[in-house]
Amino acid sequence: MSFEPKILGIACNWCTYTGADLAGTTRLQYPQNLRVVRVMCSSRINPSFIFKAFQLGADGVLVGGCHPGDCHYNTGNLYARRRLAVTKKILEFSGMEPGRFRVEWISASEGNKFAEVVREFTEEIRNLGPQTKFKIS
Amino acid sequence: MLKKTTVQKLSDLAAGLMEKGALIAPVREEAGHNFREISDPAAVDLDFYNTLLSPKSVFFPHTEDFIRYKTGASIAEAVCVEPDIRPTVLFGVRPCDVKSFEIMDIHFTGTGKVDPYWAKRREAATIFGYAFDPNTPADPADFYSTLGIGAADPEGSDVFMIRKDQDLLLQAVSPKGEKLLSELPSLSDASADDQKYFDGTVAAGRTFKTRFTCVEAEPIAKKFEDLFHNAAFWEKVSEACLSCGACTFVCPTCYCFDICDETLFSQGTRRRVWDSCMFTDFTLEASGHNPRTKVYQRLRQKISHKYSYHIRKYGPISCVGCGRCTRNCPVNIDIFSIVNEAMKA
Amino acid sequence: MATSFKQIEENLKTEAGKLLDAGKVSMVLAYGRGYDEKHPLPYVARSLADVDGMVFNEYCTANLARYLVRYPRGTKIGIAAKAADSRAVIQLIQEDKVKRDDLVILGIPVYGMKNAKTDEAIDAKTTCGLYNPVIYDVLLGEEVHGQPVLSPYEVLEKVEAMGQDERFAFWKKELDRCIRCYACRKACPMCYCDPCFIDQNKPKWGEKSPETGGNLMYHLTRFHHLAGRCIDCGECSRACPVDIPLYLFHKKVAKECEEMFGQAAGMSIDEKPALINFRVEDSDKILE
Ligand code: SF4
Ligand code: SF4
Ligand code: SF4
Ligand code: SF4
Ligand code: FES
Repeated sequence: MSFEPKILGIACNWCTYTGADLAGTTRLQYPQNLRVVRVMCSSRINPSFIFKAFQLGADGVLVGGCHPGDCHYNTGNLYARRRLAVTKKILEFSGMEPGRFRVEWISASEGNKFAEVVREFTEEIRNLGPQTKFKIS
Repeated sequence: MLKKTTVQKLSDLAAGLMEKGALIAPVREEAGHNFREISDPAAVDLDFYNTLLSPKSVFFPHTEDFIRYKTGASIAEAVCVEPDIRPTVLFGVRPCDVKSFEIMDIHFTGTGKVDPYWAKRREAATIFGYAFDPNTPADPADFYSTLGIGAADPEGSDVFMIRKDQDLLLQAVSPKGEKLLSELPSLSDASADDQKYFDGTVAAGRTFKTRFTCVEAEPIAKKFEDLFHNAAFWEKVSEACLSCGACTFVCPTCYCFDICDETLFSQGTRRRVWDSCMFTDFTLEASGHNPRTKVYQRLRQKISHKYSYHIRKYGPISCVGCGRCTRNCPVNIDIFSIVNEAMKA
Repeated sequence: MATSFKQIEENLKTEAGKLLDAGKVSMVLAYGRGYDEKHPLPYVARSLADVDGMVFNEYCTANLARYLVRYPRGTKIGIAAKAADSRAVIQLIQEDKVKRDDLVILGIPVYGMKNAKTDEAIDAKTTCGLYNPVIYDVLLGEEVHGQPVLSPYEVLEKVEAMGQDERFAFWKKELDRCIRCYACRKACPMCYCDPCFIDQNKPKWGEKSPETGGNLMYHLTRFHHLAGRCIDCGECSRACPVDIPLYLFHKKVAKECEEMFGQAAGMSIDEKPALINFRVEDSDKILE
């Protein structure tokens, strides 16, 4: 059986989630491997969500937020950027493949970018293979 | 009949014991020696003062699975986990730790309610006690003589071992030990001299002194009862305490646990996991009320439990003076000093 | 020439005595006699009479800043602070856990501190390696100069050089040994949360049993919570009964934070902690 990655998407309500919606309504094709959880803002993401997702078997985690400067709450994603950068370094230093975690800024009008990012990320995770390091059985 | 072998031939003895069942013995690890199940007989190492963690986990593991269940399924579908009980040889236990088993027996088997996990493991185990060397000073944290335990007390062991330079003398203490010893071909018979040495060491162990203070069960129980409401005393002695769980987890006579349901997706296990009265949430009630919010209340619980409540309920002091809590406390809190101060207070 | 421990102890007693006598503070956090020389104990002096119980020697490693949050806000406290400890004090001020005005910092320049368990010198390998306190009101000895200033991050080389799989195996082996006694978080001056995330059960972030899953969750999250806040005192690792080298991870996170955000934790009371701050000019490069 070929490997179908399980990818957790965490998208902010105002930009990326709306962008994902747009990708859907304009019938853009992108892989079905992403399951999206909507949060109000990228700064609402507790880094433990990401660790937990990997423990529960996610092969990759994709975080989406508004472009810096465009956050609905003005500065949420500016904090989130710093925090998630640390998350990335921690994952990397723990031995997790760095490619399994990605942060992208995708606006409400960027349905195309959303589809493109999901395609590319899914491909990358597919190449990395199943995530086994954090997974608890 | 006293038997003997040499330290060089320890691995032969270990290999012989492994034929009788699981062998759990001290091995050298990063932070110190610990009791582990042996797969390589050469790993058994008797060059240690005392193990970092107590041997209680052999009978009372940090995590013990009780029940496996599926969420949403009926109770009838839940299954009991059969504990993995095998004949076991627990090798190289210091006299104070051997004594701790007797105290723990009270809770797990002696109160009328028998804990089958503890009881069966105890039953399946043959204990090889191992004397401290009464010719070298005790670790400054130890105070087992205060609790009336000798450095070379054979009581409670099935076989008792004393090191005589490069020789290891082994004396059967119980019929179980007697039988096992007779089945070990790597042992030879000891000489009359060896017997003299053995008996001499046991006797020397009884007069050997670790840190010592005169503590008697009844008066100390009373003392701590009287001190219960003396917040000033407890605040003072607990001022440095971090309220972590290091002291209770390394302690051979701490037995608090929590029952946890650990569920992953729809599969779950109900298990027993060590807990500590020093943890903030140990006494947290479902209502949100916590009767012990202060560090001093928790330290008071820990010490009064051992030196007062336990005496009142079951008789003996629930401490064997092994010094582990003191050695492992990140801020050097010392239960012996606190008991001493209590007596003066 | 570094001031002798005996002299520092004398100065500590004198200064603490002055503060208590003048009523400038209601308590002085320092070190007192433990069960032997090698095991001094964090100690609180509340009156002139208590001052005599103070000691200072090479084994006074505990970071007393850890106790600051325990007392009601507004309590006037004198605190003996070694180099790294003073950074913890600064960090707590940054986080508004204590007020600068409520503190009298008795700075202690340190040279030759030792780990009581191993008798090894405590230096840049396991701590920030500073000799002199960053902030103080009174200095209890001469500043230490002319000693080699080592990078606190040099010790990381070996782990950094590992491949991902090897590094994962390394951490798994280390963290699997954890017995979840929580001495690390309790000894840490920056871990003051009540309740700590790992004690919550709704949601439950990690299991209580000391096994891979819960251990990894506890430690990775804790490393994260300490990001930009850990001042590299090394207390967590010294507190650990099973000697897990937590400092390696904390140092790595601190190093990355320094590189990304251009500031080290606990160096100035005028800064904000890096992770509750941002600059408009922060770049997306940090996410790469
Ligand atoms: S006595 Fe020491 S080991 Fe025990 S809870 Fe207090 S600080 Fe931790
Ligand atoms: S994480 Fe460790 S080194 Fe960092 S401040 Fe806390 S105790 Fe000190
Ligand atoms: S680990 Fe995190 S939640 Fe727990 S005490 Fe430390 S900073 Fe707080
Ligand atoms: S002090 Fe060590 S053993 Fe205890 S919880 Fe921390 S890492 Fe684990
Ligand atoms: S609302 Fe989109 S990142 Fe804050």
